[in-house]
Amino acid sequence: MTMKRFLTILLAAAITTMIACGGGGETAAYEEDEELEEIVSAGGSATAASGGGAAAAVANAGTITGAVTLAGNPAPQSTIQMGADPACQAAHSSPVHAQNVVVNPAGQLANVFVYVKDFRGAAPKPTEPAILDQRGCQYFPHVGGVQVGQTLRIRNSDPTLHNVHAMPKVNREFNIGQPVQGMTTDKVFDKPEVMVPFKCDVHNWMSSYLAVLPHPYFGTSNEQGSFQIANLPPGTYTLEAWHEKFGTQTQQVTVAPNEQKQVSFSFNAS
Amino acid sequence: MKPQEPIPHNYRMSTLNKVFALSSLALLALVGAMVMYDYARGWKRFQLEFLRVQRDRITQQLEVARRATGEEQLRALDQRMREGEADIARKRAELREAEDTVREWEGRHYRADQDFRFAKAVLDSLRYEAEVLALRKARGWEGKQQEFREQETRVERLKLVLEDVSASRDAALARRDGILSRIAEIEREKKDLLADVELLEKQLATVDFKRPEFLLLNMPLLDFVSPTLKVEQVVLNDMFVDMNYMVVPRVDRCMTCHKGIDRPGFESREEAQRLIAELEGKLDGFQIAPDRIADTMARIEQLRPIAEARRNLRNPYRTHPRLDMFVGSASPHPLLEYGCTSCHRGLDRATDFARAGHTPSSEEQQKRWEEHYGWKRQPFLESPMHPRQYFEASCIKCHSGEVRVDEADRISEGTQMIELYGCAGCHKIDNWRFQDLRKPGPDLRGIAEKTSPEWTVRWLTNPKDFRATTRMPSFFYLRNMVGPHIGPAERESNEKKQNAEIQAIVAYLFANSTRRGWPEGPSGDPARGAALVDTVGCYGCHVAQETVTDSAGAVRTANRDDFPLERNYGFNLVGTGTKTRSDWLFHWLKNPRNYYQQAPMPDLRLTDQEAADITAWLMSLRKPDFMNMPVAPADRAALSELSRSYMITSMTERETDARLASMTSQQQLVFLGQRTIEKYGCFGCHDIKGFEDAKPIGTELTIEGSKNIHLFDFGFVHDFETESGEHEHVLHTVPSWIYAKVRSPRVFDDQRERGYHDKLKMPNFFFTRNEAEAVTGVVLGLTKDRVAPERIAARTSEARVAQEGRKLVSQNNCRACHVVDGHGGAIAQTVEDPGMLPPDLGPEGSRVQSDWLFAFLKDPTVMALRPWLGARMPTFHFSDGEADKITRYFAADANVPTFETDDGISPHPQSAAVGGIVFDMLRCAQCHPTQAVAATAEADLASLAPNLQLSRERLRHDWVPDWILRPNEIVPGTRMPTNFPRNAETGEYESPLTLAIGSPQFASYRQALLQHFRSEEEMLQALADAPRISHHLRDYIWTIGIRSMPPARDPVEEPPPYTPETPPPAPAPGVQSTSLRVPGGETPGR
Repeated sequence: MTMKRFLTILLAAAITTMIACGGGGETAAYEEDEELEEIVSAGGSATAASGGGAAAAVANAGTITGAVTLAGNPAPQSTIQMGADPACQAAHSSPVHAQNVVVNPAGQLANVFVYVKDFRGAAPKPTEPAILDQRGCQYFPHVGGVQVGQTLRIRNSDPTLHNVHAMPKVNREFNIGQPVQGMTTDKVFDKPEVMVPFKCDVHNWMSSYLAVLPHPYFGTSNEQGSFQIANLPPGTYTLEAWHEKFGTQTQQVTVAPNEQKQVSFSFNAS
Repeated sequence: MKPQEPIPHNYRMSTLNKVFALSSLALLALVGAMVMYDYARGWKRFQLEFLRVQRDRITQQLEVARRATGEEQLRALDQRMREGEADIARKRAELREAEDTVREWEGRHYRADQDFRFAKAVLDSLRYEAEVLALRKARGWEGKQQEFREQETRVERLKLVLEDVSASRDAALARRDGILSRIAEIEREKKDLLADVELLEKQLATVDFKRPEFLLLNMPLLDFVSPTLKVEQVVLNDMFVDMNYMVVPRVDRCMTCHKGIDRPGFESREEAQRLIAELEGKLDGFQIAPDRIADTMARIEQLRPIAEARRNLRNPYRTHPRLDMFVGSASPHPLLEYGCTSCHRGLDRATDFARAGHTPSSEEQQKRWEEHYGWKRQPFLESPMHPRQYFEASCIKCHSGEVRVDEADRISEGTQMIELYGCAGCHKIDNWRFQDLRKPGPDLRGIAEKTSPEWTVRWLTNPKDFRATTRMPSFFYLRNMVGPHIGPAERESNEKKQNAEIQAIVAYLFANSTRRGWPEGPSGDPARGAALVDTVGCYGCHVAQETVTDSAGAVRTANRDDFPLERNYGFNLVGTGTKTRSDWLFHWLKNPRNYYQQAPMPDLRLTDQEAADITAWLMSLRKPDFMNMPVAPADRAALSELSRSYMITSMTERETDARLASMTSQQQLVFLGQRTIEKYGCFGCHDIKGFEDAKPIGTELTIEGSKNIHLFDFGFVHDFETESGEHEHVLHTVPSWIYAKVRSPRVFDDQRERGYHDKLKMPNFFFTRNEAEAVTGVVLGLTKDRVAPERIAARTSEARVAQEGRKLVSQNNCRACHVVDGHGGAIAQTVEDPGMLPPDLGPEGSRVQSDWLFAFLKDPTVMALRPWLGARMPTFHFSDGEADKITRYFAADANVPTFETDDGISPHPQSAAVGGIVFDMLRCAQCHPTQAVAATAEADLASLAPNLQLSRERLRHDWVPDWILRPNEIVPGTRMPTNFPRNAETGEYESPLTLAIGSPQFASYRQALLQHFRSEEEMLQALADAPRISHHLRDYIWTIGIRSMPPARDPVEEPPPYTPETPPPAPAPGVQSTSLRVPGGETPGR
């Protein structure tokens, strides 16, 4: 009797030990993953630094305005020959210039895309669609941005066939034909990507670059070389300026609550 | 009775009792220990831990399911149920009455039914009696018949009664059920709502390892009955283990510990992320059948928490990656048929970590395994597992009859490298893939026509000095000859011998070279030549640069793997002017087969002027410094010593001395050259006169991957520095040895004492890590492992022909310009405008007619599809057999019949007319010419698309509408726009014409279209139907088709224009540099 009880206890103990040991180092089912935890906590603190979410931030948001200049003498802008398509030719009475380097005599550079590179907080969701217009066989805007998940409405304002060929690396590529004037097609990008090139295979001079960002804090320089990023929650950010020909530049910027921050970028034509 | 005298013992009972008691206790303890030892198997812990993982997963899912179920929803249901019950309580009297009615009518129904049946039985017996009486003409038969008729009427009446009663009963039932139905409905709803939760709860109960039955079933000694922790296995009848004395089926027990291997839901974080991206991509791309969409979305939901989890599941608990390819029951390699060890290798029946043959992939992994799993080296294991980086090696076992293994890119790359670097030239590999390969090096039987001995000596000294990315390996001045391990005296002697060997090889080659004279071509313009090289397509196969700019913007010397393999197929063009004679070069460019029938370079159909321009440019690519490299003449002592070392094997000392004395230095050099070529096996890659039938010199690699580790000589090497200065560690495993050998072939001579001729001879290809791993993977896959013949891929005769075609695609480097099977198109690196790229051949089989393809392959000038393209399809001078194999490969790849001609089809005129109008509306002609295009036309040539006049001769009838509907799905990234985008919800094609026809821009088309339809409604219906429109368009395109293709013929080759051979110049004893500036004894430049 005692022996039996002894055995039972022994066996029960054996099983329990085995089960208890199951969680030991030898069989542990999960990798220790410190790296990820760091990322998670870093993300959390960044949100805190930017004022704990977008809704609260808008109240004391700052604005970045800036100027972009070009040093040196760029090659003169090339003229586009639109003879291949009479419909394009007819849309213009004067010669049309390429949109890649648009600079005025004061050296102010247009079509530079400036954006906050490292915004980690919660960004307001876009409600309005962004527009990409094909007018006079050119894209408007030539350089711009959309938000992740924002509808991009592509419109053909010309009485001719355009095709819109987006060539992203991260997002899904598409290439749609728009033979009808006034026709629109809606597209959505679901991953951030700087930049997505667009072109028209029918008119090979037509090109456009759109950035896809997870937030609305970006701007494109106008013909006076100035841009604006509004409603930016206070914090320290990396700003990047992108130009299709002259590459990118970055700078650190700290925006205090309600501050009107001035920055400037200067590219070199060489 | 006399009391029995105690027998005298020399032991005491009480002591003995104690001894017995103690020893029986000890024995018991021992038995207990034995049982425990037998019981506590390592794999049980993994199974227990897996239960824990399962419990966690199910608990998580349960939470989600409960949340999804929603407390509120449940409460609402309960509320409705209570209301229903209250309702019933209120109508209790009514219900009781309804139930009474039901009962009553049930009774009546029973009775009516009974009456009817009895009456019918009586009727049957009466019928019989009446019939019998009538037959016998017996008395009273008429009365009986009368009786029968009356009974018949009664049955009719009873039937009507029964029908009435049934109707009343059903009505009563319906009334009662109506009252009760509300509750039944709510109960059903609740059950549906809780189904998920209940299922999960049941699952949770099965993985609970603390419940008593679990403990009981798995208790030691009792666990023979029906344990839940047990060894699991699959028996693989088609996969064999060679036990040396017999071949037996594999029995894989890996899943005893790898419990989650075939169950979705235990993926690693990375795999979950990859899968989500893949599945979402497929959903977006309409690649998932409509009935699978819900399942796919459920799978994504299952994966999402894994992809976002903070803790990553570890092996052995993970699901196998790529279940769609491996292990999964619907995959091509299901677990039950292929198991684990047929790919991973290892000991199939083992259930212990170390014995299973797990092979570490790195030093760190080995340390971790030793620490955590008690890993030990298993020196007697015949087939240890492939380490992580070489998993793909086993594909070769079944797929060696295929040129590329789909989805196994590393193996495919390694195989291509072995072909390109000519490994099979020295190492016999008895494997279809490596047989009948063209020699990778140039023909040296005419070397004197093309270059000089001075250049060749310097080239052999170190080919990389001349071209950083050359595929020619280095044979001389390597680590086992002049490396840091070699003493100064031996080093000096080795240097002299190496130089003597080089000089000897050059002397032999030039003494045995033809010397045909090539007339000089016209004078050319290097600038025009450079532009031609850029546009004609040379950069598909060649590079002309030795430096690259890395991602950080720094300029460094290029490696071969900075460029796609296809661009290493041709030689790097730098230094051509220093190496090659211009007269020879001109004729080589005109047609490489003038020089060499097997030339890998195709005929680009250059005009004399074009060839002269390119020659001029190539001759301007000079490396003058290279020729200034000092070279000493062959050392006489070294020359004699080496010559002697060969002669002495077949002659006596005296004969040798006499023979040597009778030879001039030049004769000695040529003699030694022949022996040295034999020693290093140069003929493996080059055609050399006198070595036409020589046998390869290297170790046979046919079953290299099966060789036991004791057959590999590890020397004294544990850690070493490669020639490029990278540190490598050699584990004591076969993969690690092969890798080290490929990386630095002479490394195992380090610190060894060996005679000059006994040292390792394999040349150094200076492979990077990446390249060496790809090659090692293939070598590891060359095993003697056997599988049942039906498991071998590509076995049918049709598949064999297709694979032969695929081999030709690889051997002729078609992928340099074209994307084939989703790989290749290397030329894209140098072509800025994608509109100027050669076509993607992914869908070629389903796109073009076989007749056309055959003719085009034979002679690409039969049809100028895009005459404005700079890059031209070269003439490969394929034989009929070769062109046929390639044609059949493309057809087989697309799964379309080879012999089908769409010639006879002529479209209905009305359909073509509608197509013509739509063609104008969609403005197809904006890009597609419909008449011959002059190369000088004002049109923007880069925007043009293929000429549609040629479609009827070239394209398959079914292909055209399919292409019009979904170009981007067939060739992702194509310039052809999608005119009929799919509806994001339904996946149906939408037509822009519905919108267009209403717009004033298209008013005239509307009138034209109406003529072809009976009503406006019909027209609108047709315009909205995208597939129908695509057929109209095809019919229109068919009507504009012209017949322009001349019959296929092999362009006649002009006879080569060389003059007869001139005698070789007077022999000089070895090459001596005219620009030798250093004193004689100095080390030759390296």
